[in-house]
Amino acid sequence: MSFTSTIGVGGEAAARSIEAQLKRGGGDTTGRIFKLLLQLSLVVSVGVLVVLFVDVFATGTSVFTTRAESFLSSGIRTSADAAGVFQAIRGTLWIGVFTVVLAFPIGIAAAVYLEEYATKGRLTNFIDLNIRNLAGVPSIVYGILGLTLFVQRFEGFTGGRTLMAAGITLAILVLPIVIITSAEAVRAVPNSLREAGYGVGATRWEVTRTQVLPYALPGIITGTVLALARSIGEAAPLLLCGAVTGLLPGRQGLIDPSQLTERFTALPIVIADWARTPREGFDEIAAAAIIVTLAIVLAMNTLAIALRNRFEKKRN
Amino acid sequence: MAPDINLTEPAIVDESVDVTPETPGAASGPVPEVVFEVSDLSVYYGDFRAVRDVNIAVHKHEITAFIGPSGCGKTTVLRCFNRMNDLIDIARVEGNVSYHGVDLYDREVNPVEVRRRIGMVFQKPNPFPKSIYDNVAYGPKIAGVKANMDDVVEKALRGAGLWDEVKSRLKASGMGLSGGQQQRLCIARAIATEPEVLLMDEPCSSLDPIATARIEDLMQEIKDKYTIVIVTHNMQQAARVSDRTAFFTTEVNAESDTRTGLLVEVGSTDTMFSNPGDERTENYVTGRFG
Amino acid sequence: MSTKPLPLEPMRHVFREELDQLRLQVELMGLRVDENLERMRQNLRTGDEIVADAAFTADNEIDAMNVSLTERCYLLLGRESPVASDLRFIVSVLRIVSELERVGDLALRVVKLTPKHHLLVRSEVVFDILVTLSDEAVEYFRVALRAWSAQDLRLATELATQNRNLDLYYERLISELKALEGPDAVRIAIAAFAAGRALERIADHSAIIGARLRYLITGEPAHLAAEVR
Repeated sequence: MSFTSTIGVGGEAAARSIEAQLKRGGGDTTGRIFKLLLQLSLVVSVGVLVVLFVDVFATGTSVFTTRAESFLSSGIRTSADAAGVFQAIRGTLWIGVFTVVLAFPIGIAAAVYLEEYATKGRLTNFIDLNIRNLAGVPSIVYGILGLTLFVQRFEGFTGGRTLMAAGITLAILVLPIVIITSAEAVRAVPNSLREAGYGVGATRWEVTRTQVLPYALPGIITGTVLALARSIGEAAPLLLCGAVTGLLPGRQGLIDPSQLTERFTALPIVIADWARTPREGFDEIAAAAIIVTLAIVLAMNTLAIALRNRFEKKRN
Repeated sequence: MAPDINLTEPAIVDESVDVTPETPGAASGPVPEVVFEVSDLSVYYGDFRAVRDVNIAVHKHEITAFIGPSGCGKTTVLRCFNRMNDLIDIARVEGNVSYHGVDLYDREVNPVEVRRRIGMVFQKPNPFPKSIYDNVAYGPKIAGVKANMDDVVEKALRGAGLWDEVKSRLKASGMGLSGGQQQRLCIARAIATEPEVLLMDEPCSSLDPIATARIEDLMQEIKDKYTIVIVTHNMQQAARVSDRTAFFTTEVNAESDTRTGLLVEVGSTDTMFSNPGDERTENYVTGRFG
Repeated sequence: MSTKPLPLEPMRHVFREELDQLRLQVELMGLRVDENLERMRQNLRTGDEIVADAAFTADNEIDAMNVSLTERCYLLLGRESPVASDLRFIVSVLRIVSELERVGDLALRVVKLTPKHHLLVRSEVVFDILVTLSDEAVEYFRVALRAWSAQDLRLATELATQNRNLDLYYERLISELKALEGPDAVRIAIAAFAAGRALERIADHSAIIGARLRYLITGEPAHLAAEVR
């Protein structure tokens, strides 16, 4: 007995009205407009980046095609044809080292303490609030901190306007970021994992070391890379800690610890200086220095993503 | 005569020493040995009293079931038995919880030692994101067990009825197992430290009927080696599996309009489900009133 | 901080209604059986064949009710997983329904003696006792019915435990039958004995109904043991 044979005239009209009801609507013009606006925002954001890239590459590629090796191996000079980024790269890398050695362990440890060990209450909320505030403090303020404390007060230890002073200052600058992102990663660890660990008779440290930290590691890595990128990109503290712009005499080696207590320079400063110099050729080398910076940041991010994926797979 | 339990120093679990507790009497003679004695227990979360005035004894080699509606404090009381409520900052315990005569909440008692002897299985299976082998070996390793770890792992997996299914892939991740298998893995993990007691918090509530039946069978099999306390929402499960049943209910606080749990009645499971003493119990088990 | 119990909401409405229905259906079946017992009583007095036929027809309905109620109980057991008093109720219904069916059969057994009615009335003494027995048995059954419809523990206990006048009448019947004389004595005795025995058994089964009702209400193991005779 087929369906249609049991429908009378009234039944057929009913079926058609159902069909009409099901097939109507789907206009959703507001939704479409909204989607369009979202797409527009994305285009604008990417567009800005594209414009930046195109501009930089257009200006700076000539440096690499003509004198790449000398550009990368020379120190800063007053003439655009002879200037190079070697010393700046060195300074930036060292600052990265300071960040990793100082900010990462302290920041992660502080985050672990706040999330795993401290009793939640008014005090921890207060501390949390303050750390978030510190993350938003303008970098020039950290620069002043660095100047007063590490350049002047502790001159005996750091040697004054040196890499060490700048490195420590920038490490302190990104410390709040490390703490916040690590704390977030630790908080995201499912509580069931902790309970399972405690349930089997593990101490708090064992649970933290064997369950919480491995699970949070991908998130922590992401956060630390963010911090690292920030620390090597900030110019204001470098300025106040005395980064050199004209000419920087001194040793040439890449990794020489004695350089820590000497005058220094770094990529953000060099870029700022060359970009402001009106003389010919400086636009190009400024753009070339930007390309170098971008390359370093890209390398770091790639490494971080690789590490994060590896740890994520391990915890699958 | 309770065994001499020292909960303040780390246990040295040595396989050569026979730590098997005395077997219970064969015939229905003396009352089985009491493992937990709870008197006038109340648990607070901050100012809020979650459960009040609990008095209950848990006996050796018996399965005791806690049943009752949501929010009546069954899980809260269960977690007092292995000091898991310590993990909640604002939790506070009043009254007495004794394990073989030792007050579990005494200042000198080390909760880590408590949890090695009193294992727990949770509602949602929560294996570590490690291999099956490492999951089971975790407990004994951190407890400093010196025995051959392969043997320990195999014994625990056999005890949980999982060995045959995983013996060829011990290095595979524990998270790749099915829900029922994961829960049995968690049981294996819990029994790997050779605890005396197993606390189970609604262990089957996220499992399908077949996996549930498997675990119920397992509980019957391992009953003579452990003392089990199980919290369950499934009354048929409590009736099938347990020797003794405790029924909890909730009451409303006049002033604050919050709910506080309390223990209504404890008795042998057969009695509780055929002819309970308290009308509230009868109403709950028959589902007549809710 | 004082606490008071939560307000209770009745639940499992469909199940509750089914149980109520079951109780009423058992009552209805009991009424049918009672009607047939009335026909039996009348038939014993008068030997009327029309009444006898009516009794046979009615018994089919009683059998059908037995089957349908039994099936309904099994269905409820499987579907609802009853415990405690609900389980006792359904199991007791199963067993009481089977007792009712037995009583119906026994009533028929007396009615089947209609062809022999002329023998039964031959001895006035014997006939008197039989009539009394039938009155007593029917009355006894009615007490069981009342007990069920009111779920009355006192009546149920009376049924289950008290001695019965009926037993005395029955003994009297036996001794009268033994003392019968005459050419048809044996044939009379056989017929009368069959009737008396059936009537006595009707009372027995009514007592069992009382005992099962008592266990249903109290749930005490001792009461369960007592009903299994």
